[in-house]
Amino acid sequence: MDGAWYQRFPKIKIREMKDDYVKFELRETDASMANALRRVILVEVPTIAIDLVEIKANTSVLSDEFIAHRLGLIPLTSERAMNMRFSRDCDACDGDGQCEFCSVEFHLRAKCMTDQTLDVTSKDLISSDHTVVPVDFSGSTGFDSSEQRGITIVKLRQGQELRLRAIARKGIGKDHAKWSPAATVTFMYEPEIHINEDLMESLTLDEKISFVESSPTKVFDIDPRTHQVTVVDAEAYTYDEEVLKKAESMGKPGLVEIYPKEDSFIFTVESTGVFKASQLVLNAIDILKQKLDAVRLSQDTAEVDDQFGELEAHMRGG
Amino acid sequence: MEHTSFGDQRNATFSLNEEDHTLANALRFTLNQDPRVMFCGYSIPHPSEARVNIRVQTTGDPAREVLKDACQELMQMCQHVRTTLDNAVADFKKESSRR
Repeated sequence: MDGAWYQRFPKIKIREMKDDYVKFELRETDASMANALRRVILVEVPTIAIDLVEIKANTSVLSDEFIAHRLGLIPLTSERAMNMRFSRDCDACDGDGQCEFCSVEFHLRAKCMTDQTLDVTSKDLISSDHTVVPVDFSGSTGFDSSEQRGITIVKLRQGQELRLRAIARKGIGKDHAKWSPAATVTFMYEPEIHINEDLMESLTLDEKISFVESSPTKVFDIDPRTHQVTVVDAEAYTYDEEVLKKAESMGKPGLVEIYPKEDSFIFTVESTGVFKASQLVLNAIDILKQKLDAVRLSQDTAEVDDQFGELEAHMRGG
Repeated sequence: MEHTSFGDQRNATFSLNEEDHTLANALRFTLNQDPRVMFCGYSIPHPSEARVNIRVQTTGDPAREVLKDACQELMQMCQHVRTTLDNAVADFKKESSRR
């Protein structure tokens, strides 16, 4: 059925991986595939974030909607998100979108009793589901004790109180940025650098040094013994063409040639903490497959053909 | 939603709601790799409206079948990427625990 299909089997190699950061190489695929992956990671992977806030008491200096906005932006661990339903699709609840299948309930009670300022932070949010809690940033770097207290929501003076109930729901970044699981996602083309050795030999050592230093990032280096210019870090090249302009200004235009490899990409994904970075990429691939499935299966509903068939016939006068 | 002329199944424009460049560009690339496709392109009629028109013209097969095959192909590519990523993560963890 496929005939002479040219199958592409992309290759992946992981360079670095931490809990919230992964850097990997994607080879033998097209830019459209890499871009589709980047776009899905950024806006289409579902997470859980606070979406509805009922304020019972608020005598703090920030207004109700201000606090509600800040609560929405707090990242919540969302492993459950892929299996959860959207509130609008849930048939178990009686229409208010607050049942246990499609939402998670949070409570916050804080009152400042002492004359010291009380910091209300994300750690004070109490969840009804222990798998969905505000992301804990302490312990990763941990050298600064202020990071261990969680994200500050509001500060209270003596006598001020904040009591509220919040509902968190599943959503995607396209609707609101609070549901985006990625801090940054970038990909760059891997550069291929060729140094013309003959032309390079014709330069003096000073010229070589000034050439190496003309690059804003450290791409080249000079071996101190042999005085040869070598490529030390090809990927530090940011596709500014400073080295090419420098070569031209020195009168040697073909000195170095730099091409981006058209099917080789270096992805950097940084997560906000709601998923592990590797889990984020895996979820993104699953979401991409689901979208393709939806397109493939929707082609089976053909009712529009009939409408247009009649319209065509009518317009032809038949 | 497929807009096609009555008798000719080879050429059609598919209008996808609630989609954007994410899916359309990847599908366009996959369709262009298929030797049965004479022409393939996509456009977004208005950026405020989430709709994509994909035009497919083939050498003989119904355009709808060719589009379905392209979706299938892209899904297999995604599955391959997923398993490759899983293996790469496992390998990386083994490497770093050894060190």
